[in-house]
Amino acid sequence: MALFGSGSSSNQSQQDAKAAIIKQVQAEAAVTNARALISRVNEHCFEHCIPKPGSTMSSSEESCLSNCMEKYISMWNVVNRTYVSRISSESKRMGQDAVALSQLSTPSDK
Amino acid sequence: MDASQVDVTKLSDNDKKELNQFLASEAQKSTIQQSVHHLTDACWKKCITSRVTAGRLDSSEESCAQNCVERWMDTNLAVLKHLEVLRGQ
Repeated sequence: MALFGSGSSSNQSQQDAKAAIIKQVQAEAAVTNARALISRVNEHCFEHCIPKPGSTMSSSEESCLSNCMEKYISMWNVVNRTYVSRISSESKRMGQDAVALSQLSTPSDK
Repeated sequence: MDASQVDVTKLSDNDKKELNQFLASEAQKSTIQQSVHHLTDACWKKCITSRVTAGRLDSSEESCAQNCVERWMDTNLAVLKHLEVLRGQ
């Protein structure tokens, strides 16, 4: 950049600063989303696969947990796809922006 | 660069505007993701009734999940619509 004499060093550091904020926010959002998913997988699959907790975890329980985990994640993806496409068609229909609509229809966390 | 060391007051107005837009869209994304978590939770209870024996969703479970989301949205809209009626009384 200095080669062309454009962009002072402060401009460059501003670009870095902006990029750093964006990167950190994205990383934190991804961690938060993953945590929420993992805690729900845990909850549902424990409920499903370990009806009577024994003194050790059996191999059938373990394979049930693997299947359950994969199934829950596929279901999350199906729900995500369906929900996002419904929201966007709904917001087009109502002529509202998606922000207002998604806030309108946000279910409260239990 | 670590974002915690960034002095946001030094950003240009244009950068601030861009960041605000980015943050608004991230907030929206996060709201939608929370809804997806809630819905997956609810639809798992309704659609996964037999023992889990495979890691993949079978076709009936997949269509159940899709219907679950669509009807949940319908419920949402119906509630809002009726609320309008109640408010007009």
